Amino acid sequence: MARLIRTEKEVEGRYTEQWVVVEEDVLEQWPEGPLQTVGRPATRVDGLARARGEARYTQDLRLPGMLHAAVLRSPHARARVTRLDLEPAMAMAGIRGVIGPSDLEPLTNEPNYEGEAVAAVAADTVAQARAAVEAIDVEWEVLEPLLDAEQALAQKSFVTNPRDYERGDVERGLAEADAVVEAEYRTQSVLHNALETHQSACEWEGDTLVVYTSTQFLWGVRDEVAKAFQLPKDKVRVICRFMGGGFGAKGSAGDYTMIAAELAKRTGRPVHCRLDRREENVNSGNRNPTIQKLRLGARSDGTLTAIDAEYECLLGWDGWLPPTAGPAQMLYACENVRTVERGVRLNTPPMDAFRAPGFVEGTFGLECALDELAAKLDLDPLEVRRRNHADHDPMDERPFSAKELMECYRRAEPHWERRHEVRARSEGPVQRGVGLATQLWYGGGGPPSYAWVRLGGDGTVTVVTAMQDIGTGTRTAMAQIAAEELGIPLERVTVELGDTAHGPYAVVSGGSSTTPSMGPAVRSAAADVGRQLIEIAAQRFETEERVLRLENGKIVSDLGGSWAIEDITGLLEDGQILGNGARGPNPTGMRVLTFGIQVAEVAVDMETGEVVVERIYAVHDVGRVINPLGAESQIEGGIIQAIGHTLSEKRLLDPQTGKVLTRTLDSYKLPTFADVPEIVAELVDKPDAHLTNLGSKGLGEPPIVPTAAAIVNAIRDATGADVREIPVDRETMLRALAEAREREKRGAPAAV
Amino acid sequence: MVNGGLHEVDVPVGTTLADALRDVLGLTGTKIACGEGHCGACTVQLDGVPVLSCITLVHTVGEREVTTIEGLREHPLVQAFVEADATQCGFCTPGQIVSAAALLAATPRPGHDEIVHAMSGNLCRCGTYPKIERAIEAVAAENRGG
Amino acid sequence: MELRQPSSLADVDGGLPLAGGTEVVPLLRDGLVEAETLVDIRAVVPKGVSGTTIGAGTLLAELEADPEIPSALREACRLAASPQLRSMGTIGGNLLQATRCWYWRLKYPCFLHGGSTCHARQGEHREHAIFGNEQCASAHPSDPAAALLAVGATVRTDRRELPIGELYRLPTEDDRNVTALEPGELILELEVPRPEASHYLKAMDRARWAFPLVGVAAARFGDGVRLALAGVAPIPWALDSADALEQATPLPGTAYKVELARPLIRRALDAIA
Ligand SMILES: Cc1cc2nc3c(=O)[nH]c(=O)nc-3n(C[C@H](O)[C@H](O)[C@H](O)COP(=O)(O)OP(=O)(O)OC[C@H]3O[C@@H](n4cnc5c(N)ncnc54)[C@H](O)[C@@H]3O)c2cc1C
Ligand code: SF4
Ligand code: FES
Ligand code: FES
Repeated sequence: MARLIRTEKEVEGRYTEQWVVVEEDVLEQWPEGPLQTVGRPATRVDGLARARGEARYTQDLRLPGMLHAAVLRSPHARARVTRLDLEPAMAMAGIRGVIGPSDLEPLTNEPNYEGEAVAAVAADTVAQARAAVEAIDVEWEVLEPLLDAEQALAQKSFVTNPRDYERGDVERGLAEADAVVEAEYRTQSVLHNALETHQSACEWEGDTLVVYTSTQFLWGVRDEVAKAFQLPKDKVRVICRFMGGGFGAKGSAGDYTMIAAELAKRTGRPVHCRLDRREENVNSGNRNPTIQKLRLGARSDGTLTAIDAEYECLLGWDGWLPPTAGPAQMLYACENVRTVERGVRLNTPPMDAFRAPGFVEGTFGLECALDELAAKLDLDPLEVRRRNHADHDPMDERPFSAKELMECYRRAEPHWERRHEVRARSEGPVQRGVGLATQLWYGGGGPPSYAWVRLGGDGTVTVVTAMQDIGTGTRTAMAQIAAEELGIPLERVTVELGDTAHGPYAVVSGGSSTTPSMGPAVRSAAADVGRQLIEIAAQRFETEERVLRLENGKIVSDLGGSWAIEDITGLLEDGQILGNGARGPNPTGMRVLTFGIQVAEVAVDMETGEVVVERIYAVHDVGRVINPLGAESQIEGGIIQAIGHTLSEKRLLDPQTGKVLTRTLDSYKLPTFADVPEIVAELVDKPDAHLTNLGSKGLGEPPIVPTAAAIVNAIRDATGADVREIPVDRETMLRALAEAREREKRGAPAAV
Repeated sequence: MVNGGLHEVDVPVGTTLADALRDVLGLTGTKIACGEGHCGACTVQLDGVPVLSCITLVHTVGEREVTTIEGLREHPLVQAFVEADATQCGFCTPGQIVSAAALLAATPRPGHDEIVHAMSGNLCRCGTYPKIERAIEAVAAENRGG
Repeated sequence: MELRQPSSLADVDGGLPLAGGTEVVPLLRDGLVEAETLVDIRAVVPKGVSGTTIGAGTLLAELEADPEIPSALREACRLAASPQLRSMGTIGGNLLQATRCWYWRLKYPCFLHGGSTCHARQGEHREHAIFGNEQCASAHPSDPAAALLAVGATVRTDRRELPIGELYRLPTEDDRNVTALEPGELILELEVPRPEASHYLKAMDRARWAFPLVGVAAARFGDGVRLALAGVAPIPWALDSADALEQATPLPGTAYKVELARPLIRRALDAIA
């Protein structure tokens, strides 16, 4: 039954209170542990299409008559367009349409960061479109950009109001401490670099606008585009069947979608607007840099007495303030906590969500500082974490819906023990060490989210829902859940997704929310089908519904006897059994989070500053695991991205002009095959008893959260050097090593 | 020659092999992720050797045999990639398989270092590398068996 | 644009030489070089290794697997670029690759582009030079060039022979080129002496497929040792001795390269001792 409730909704750490209509979730959770299909490794249902190169991505679209767009973007971080003549572009070969700032909302005469769109053209070929953009006659008045964080702070240049939080009394807590660490940590800007760049192709079919787009949120794009073009929402149809990676930056429509739609409207032809790699790296979002000033105090037994943290988040011109203080506020049971987060506005390209926004940055500072504190107190870092374990939400005393962090710590123990043996393998200039860090993040998902399931006369099942699979394997997970509920083999289930015209609303694929939001909806839709199937079977076999159940592709009676599902579906002929499902509410009064810990082993060349990550052990608690194989891939992927963040990735801006220098993949260095350590991934796999009919949480983000801190803590273990900034490139490492030597010379004890 | 069939394309000088494959021949299995030689997504084989089609001018290909993912669909690596879960978003996957197929043709039973060396020109942002290695090893093990 | 595919040297008549195209094609795309005519020189430039002679058209992929060439060169080729790029790129093209300086690649009107300032000196220059960097602070990206410099290779063109050290020149006010090749001059072969021992070490930002932050090549002939560095000057840089490192003129953001070069030089020398 539908119910109206007021609830907290969370996406990537952004909470809003809102009314939602939710369906009751009446199904009991399945028992713990691997079931028939759920909880067992499954290969991707769409793996073959991808591996054979048959999967059609937005980039592969070839609509009849399709034109190609190119965009004139500001080459300056801050400027005013003093003259703009589009005529020369219109006169060029193959040009079908040209638009400027007066024609479309995101186009502007006053760009405030490099790459902001000013004008756009549509042409028969990409090359013609590019040439026409070159031909646009534009004059700029270049204005002084605001690039310096300190200056921006002094001017109170913020994107949003600063966010303050306080519990207890931090100064008292620090006064009570036996040891205090006070330090500044810095994280850099990193670029998403999904291999498929941001792009959309738009086509008008009568009064309906069809948008093919590489997105993490079909419905969000629908709403944005409908608003911009003043259309009823369902007059916008958004399609994305295969997409080549997002990592957070493909949550909204983007200027390219609006440009393609407007040019399609004007030309009457489909228009494809695709960012190239360089536009992508300037213009499609980034993880914002942070400057973190931390003070941590603890008693001699390791009990935290105070966490005081100030975060400057250099957001760029726009964006939102990610929950950078989240770990400081929630990770440990510390009585005295004060945090300040400031979202600094600069004339640099706007940030966007990037896999666990805020928590990646915040965890780095907090977990490094905690290790420095443990070293001062001569305590075992794992013990310190156990000692400060939060048994309930330290912010508001709410119980956790489930928390298996202690179990994670227990499982990590033998890997942490390896440190003696790892250190002993140091030889010559190469020193080895081990470090660890804890993870916490959201990942509970929430309503609304819906699914339909249909069972046809041939006994095959189709799950229909307008969600997207961004490469995380959700398509497969949904198929597993439906197969499990109906007691049929996985091969019999097809999942249709990726089209707002073909299926009900589904949640954004961000914030690790897809599986925990969609999974329960799919299960209840499948259960709806199962219930009807049993109703029919009871009539057909003249028995009572309550003695029948679905198992191994059969309808089984408790009274003995079983019938193949086809015995019933065969009766349907062209008929179908249709099931509806919705995601129920989240448990009220409880905090739903994911947890974990990673242990990193590194080798550091003390002379050349080379850091090699040799092994990472990861264990996470995300409730029930639907597909252990896909889950392992998610963990490996998150860790590998984190290794890039920690060692080699950094967006560089020209300090004078504020322009992005590392916009190509030769200068912006993603991890290669050769940068991958041994990765050992485990999951606790215990259903969250309070969360939905599945007890599952998301796994997209947790694995990327603690890696940087674990690696840097391992570096300190190996070398005694305090690294407080990522990426740890040669320069950073050599400087930290020199400082450590200097300290030793002066007689101060090194951190280890 | 593309995947065993002879094609003549009529495009201006300066057109890349990647564009010719995708736009003229409709072989969109070959992906473009940077278009400038920095990522490996567009890898195809020229006479069995992996090259970057986005920076190969189609007019320099001549009589050489081009093999794209479409020509490798029956290669055991395809199934092995699926079995090992070596594809996440899948955008790099065709290029990975083209490189891996060339490696296995030259070195049927590569060791870890050989795999790393041969595969380090194909970036994967999703981080499927460990699974790719597993897929290559699975096919190599079959090679050992047969 | 036109593509010529001459079959003999005599037929080559101007135009921009195209070998593997790994440099030329992206540079053309970005408008960093312009050409009416491309000349596919693969049929006219010698390839392969014979004795101590290496054809300029030899692929890096062949050289990385050739047991006969000096090990410094073999290792430099093995650690350069990526497998696909090594299977396309020739050694001749590698020696003539343009700088990776981001300002230059993004067409800032800098000194090397004929302008009057070096944007990198004032700006971001962590990958830049510690020697010869007064006017242009770019760092030469070629690994093999450092190895060839250390072993004392000679370059034979269609017009002359010159020691590889003389192939390169620092850009000056009057001439912003970093090579001494004349327009249209083709590199045909490299004459590569066999040292008694040689070694190449490379420090980069990730484990593979990155340009050298510092590359160190060392070669021993009898009692004499020759050292050359990649990634430290606008051109491949020869060092008389390890001590010569003290004469470096690093920028604030490249001082670490001096610290990095020191142990690499020592290790390379140890390896050939
Ligand atoms: C992403 C990337 C990473 C790389 N990483 C490295 C690295 O780590 N280390 C490294 O050393 N190199 C690296 N390289 C450079 C690579 O090795 C060279 O691009 C390649 O060797 C060039 O050879 P080519 O035959 O493709 O040259 P082309 O692109 O064909 O030509 C390059 C230049 O040389 C000229 N030319 C070519 N041959 C001759 C000749 N015989 N006579 C006269 N002129 C000629 C051309 O006109 C052009 O100006 C990298 C390149 C890329 C794109
Ligand atoms: S280092 Fe050289 S190429 Fe780079 S900006 Fe300076 S002058 Fe130009
Ligand atoms: S698309 Fe060719 S290398 Fe990236
Ligand atoms: S699978 Fe997504 S980039 Fe490799």
